[in-house]
Amino acid sequence: METARGMRLRLLGTCPVRFIRLVLSCSLASLTVHLFPLRENLIVDGIFLQQLINGLTLGSVYGLIAIGYTMVYGIIGMINFAHGDVYMVSAYLAAIGIALLSFFGFESFPFIIFGTLLFTIAVTGMYGYAIERIAYKPLRNSTRLAPLISAIGMSLILQNYVQISQGARQQGIPTMLDGALRFHIGEGFVQLTYTKLFIIVASIAGMLILTYIIKYTRLGRMCRATQQDRKMAQILGINTDRVISYVFVIGAAMAALAGVLITLNYGTFDFNAGFIIGIKAFTAAVLGGIGSLPGAMLGGIILGVAEAQFSGLVNSDFKDVFAFSLLVTIMIFRPQGLLGKPQVAKV
Amino acid sequence: MSGYQTSFDLKRCLIDTVMAGLISLVVFGPIVGIVLQGYSFQTEPKRLAVLIGIVMLGRFCLSLFLQTVRGQKIAESFSKPGGGVHVLPPHHKSNLRFIIPILILLAIAFPFFANKYLLSVVILGLIYVLLGLGLNIVVGLAGLLDLGFVGFYAIGAYGLALGYEYLGLGFWSMIPLAAVMAALAGALLGFPVLRMHGDYLAIVTLGFGEIIRLVLNNWVGFTGGPNGRPVPNPTFFGLEFGRRAKEGGTPIHEFFGFKYNPNAELIFTFVVLVIVVLAVLYIKHRLTRMPVGRAWEALREDEIACRAMGLNHVLVKLSAFMIGASTAGIAGVFFATKQGFIDPSSFTFFESALILAIVVLGGMGSTVGVVIAAFVLTILPELLRSFADYRILMFGILMVLMMIWRPRGLIRISRRGYEVRKGVPPSAAHTRVMPTPVTGKEVTP
Amino acid sequence: MSKIHRNGFLALAVSSALGLSSFAQADVLIGVAGPMTGANAAFGEQFWRGASQAAEDINAAGGVNGEKIKLIRADDACEPKQAVAVANRLVDSDKVVGVVGHFCSSSTIPASEVYDEAGIISITPGSTNPQVTERGFNAEFRMCGRDDQQGIVAGDYIVDQLKAQKVAIIHDKDTYGQGLADATRAQLNKRGVKEVLYEGLTRGEKDFNALVTKVRSSGAEVVYFGGLHAEAGPLVRQMREQGVTAKFVSGDGIVTDELVTTAGGAQYVNGVLMTFGADPRLLPDGKAVIEKFRANGYEPEGYTLYSYASVQALAAAFNGAGSTDGEEAAEWLKQNSVKTVMGEKSWDQKGDLKVSDYVMYQWGPDGKYKQL
Repeated sequence: METARGMRLRLLGTCPVRFIRLVLSCSLASLTVHLFPLRENLIVDGIFLQQLINGLTLGSVYGLIAIGYTMVYGIIGMINFAHGDVYMVSAYLAAIGIALLSFFGFESFPFIIFGTLLFTIAVTGMYGYAIERIAYKPLRNSTRLAPLISAIGMSLILQNYVQISQGARQQGIPTMLDGALRFHIGEGFVQLTYTKLFIIVASIAGMLILTYIIKYTRLGRMCRATQQDRKMAQILGINTDRVISYVFVIGAAMAALAGVLITLNYGTFDFNAGFIIGIKAFTAAVLGGIGSLPGAMLGGIILGVAEAQFSGLVNSDFKDVFAFSLLVTIMIFRPQGLLGKPQVAKV
Repeated sequence: MSGYQTSFDLKRCLIDTVMAGLISLVVFGPIVGIVLQGYSFQTEPKRLAVLIGIVMLGRFCLSLFLQTVRGQKIAESFSKPGGGVHVLPPHHKSNLRFIIPILILLAIAFPFFANKYLLSVVILGLIYVLLGLGLNIVVGLAGLLDLGFVGFYAIGAYGLALGYEYLGLGFWSMIPLAAVMAALAGALLGFPVLRMHGDYLAIVTLGFGEIIRLVLNNWVGFTGGPNGRPVPNPTFFGLEFGRRAKEGGTPIHEFFGFKYNPNAELIFTFVVLVIVVLAVLYIKHRLTRMPVGRAWEALREDEIACRAMGLNHVLVKLSAFMIGASTAGIAGVFFATKQGFIDPSSFTFFESALILAIVVLGGMGSTVGVVIAAFVLTILPELLRSFADYRILMFGILMVLMMIWRPRGLIRISRRGYEVRKGVPPSAAHTRVMPTPVTGKEVTP
Repeated sequence: MSKIHRNGFLALAVSSALGLSSFAQADVLIGVAGPMTGANAAFGEQFWRGASQAAEDINAAGGVNGEKIKLIRADDACEPKQAVAVANRLVDSDKVVGVVGHFCSSSTIPASEVYDEAGIISITPGSTNPQVTERGFNAEFRMCGRDDQQGIVAGDYIVDQLKAQKVAIIHDKDTYGQGLADATRAQLNKRGVKEVLYEGLTRGEKDFNALVTKVRSSGAEVVYFGGLHAEAGPLVRQMREQGVTAKFVSGDGIVTDELVTTAGGAQYVNGVLMTFGADPRLLPDGKAVIEKFRANGYEPEGYTLYSYASVQALAAAFNGAGSTDGEEAAEWLKQNSVKTVMGEKSWDQKGDLKVSDYVMYQWGPDGKYKQL
């Protein structure tokens, strides 16, 4: 009797899921088939390649911010909604750093960039630390959703605090790095501005440094231990509270790197800038498998490239719809994300 | 209570204060002290000094307070999980017996003295009560984190606007229809994603909510895109509330021969809304006692155990999802009616976050808490209007503080305890005549 | 307007609990509603600056019907939900007799329903969506032009002056931006030019490279953008960076010096064209007022003078009608013209300005715009 009941429930419960899976994969396949013959001259004119480059720069920026989400999630299982606004603060800090350095008469580009990076990372890291202390630490032992709500409150605070102190106007920095690499392909050309090149290189460097820290240093080992089993780590003498603070600082530092790079490339931001990019980066983190560092980068790049190619090939009106549909589809097939480990429920 | 020290350690206070000052100097220094002006900047040392002074003073008072016995108790309470359900004594009678009739009386009296502004704020509050109740079923009872709840709200609101435009449907017919439509949308979303674990579900629902908004915004031919759509005014048996009849009918004040009252339409919406909210409250109250309600909570606590017991987790979750969604659909109809015009900018992710905040702040699963939190979070921004520019900042600060003050929500879930009687076998206890049946009855305020 | 039930202590208790304060009845209360917070707070600031200066000047000159104007600042954050709440508050609690606002068309439209029900006159300094005055309200005016008028000017200019055959149209999927883009597209199609690209971008984003690549491959000679400066700046910069030399044309949403900041330098905005009402700062009527603003260290750009003129128009209407009744004032405003800081203005029966004064402007290499 038990089996019969189980069978009936299975039929009711699983079949629609399979059916929807089937429909989704069929529609995705037909979409792909329909899209690509649209433009035969894509490869020839280099438009496809150009969109790939556009997507890569956008994606590496998403990836850098996604790291903050994924690390915090991995270690305390909390979605840090204020992270997008931490990036926004870092964009302001970057502009202030550049303004300060040029005010004191420094003119060489590498020096200004290096100084600004140090300044921004240090101060943004402090923001990460302070936010964690004020809004999340008192809620460490509470329900899982409580820090989520205080993060939403924190995001409102950050936005309005910056608006009040810096004004509501659009801010920006002067263009610092002009020029571009240009490759002629067929009748068209592919162009990679030096700023974009700088973004890609710097985010790869940032990722490498972070991977080194997590894999080979004492701090990284402590982080990984805390992530795997907080209680056990505590028993082994790791000050997990401090490790969690470090994680917030590292996440903020990566957001700061992204802040400097984005500000360099797009040159403009306002106090609202964290919202959309925050949601996109979070999507990227989930796409790649939340909790996984390479996953965050991969998710960011896939999201960026998908957005760019979709708006190039089809329609930019629906590019966000496409991005979120892509996410939903991938989540249906791989609920743990691309590089995430499947959650094994322990009984 | 021996563990508490009673002497003050002033040195530690001062160290804390200096540390806080240094951190706030680093944190606030660049943003508050240096204001960007185009590509250059100007310094605002005075503002910065005031802010740091406030932080240091606050930190000093806080660390002094934390050294008092009371402060130490509070600090200790942070390190305790403090979970579980509050169990009441068996014969506990809830204060709600008195509170609910008083509230209903207040609701009846309210339109007689309220002005338009108060009415519209309270109506908004009631709409959020509906939304909070709906999401409370999904998040609070069934434990499914839904970040795209606003999608169902949008379906209800646009259902009214588009249903009127293309099918000639009105306010009354749309209330049940919106509930059905939103429930269907919930089912459509629910089937493929409900097998997922907590947070993955959250992000997929977030994606769903965004997709609905983006489609509403981009499908200009059907939804009007960013230009939005007008919404018909509600009617009462075909009678309109406006000063002049717009749809060619008769205004209600001419039909019944009373003086034109500009509040009539809002009062009408208010009355219908109160009735709907009461109905939803009652339905929800019953649902939590029915097997399906039990199944929601059981599934939230331990999914594996439930499946092992033969509970179909997909169907149970789906029912929660659909009932929650239909409540949001109804709320959408009221919102559209109140606004008279809707566009996609009312259905952003921030709205979902606000509804979630209502549920969490109210105390997950607690109905009374949700009602209170819905009013707090909608009326608070209005109360804070006197702060002008600092309004949203204050709102954010209060949100964080409330969360720290009451991490488990304003009202905790409480259950009425079982009565154990000495010398009477449990089976006999059931058959005995008792003033209140205690078999598994709980109070979920 | 019938009197609202307000009996006794309870009402007083509730309203004071909600933080409402009552004002002396002798003042003429005018609400200034706009986005004082949120993404468009810069425009709210312009509204408030302009209106405050106007109220100060009018009060100094004797006020309205012998009474002083008192302004009430109302924040809608460009959210329709808040716009309705704040409109009800202005009407019921603050008891204003006139409203200057709102900014976003999506806020102005639902809010004006409230003002219409209450019979209060309202003037929007900045909502250009045609819908605002198309709904048959008696006392809804605007101080600015309409998107369809703006679209005609832009479309004609693109065809007649720029002689472009390939036009790409981009909008920001917002009420204002898309309305403007649609109006321009309609005029272009009427003149026989079919757009090569018509697409939207998302407000708040900064990366439009994919779209720009698409514009590049479409070979457009002119790019028309319906939207605000926050997106126009990065868009034009990314166009130039990718080597797209097409002319960039836009509407009055980019009329602010911040465009230079958002574009990353004056070299990128050089040559950008836009339609805007004839610059109020160039008119002789407003010279003294502009000097006053500048003396206070504030450049009256964008909608500042529109807001100033709106308050002037309200004051004139109240003076002319001899009362602060919305219907009477509206009737007077439709019959008479008003001398404002932006010149002589008069309104038609719908509440639109009789003469649309949209002209083309061009941004120069110095990061300033000039009327062509």
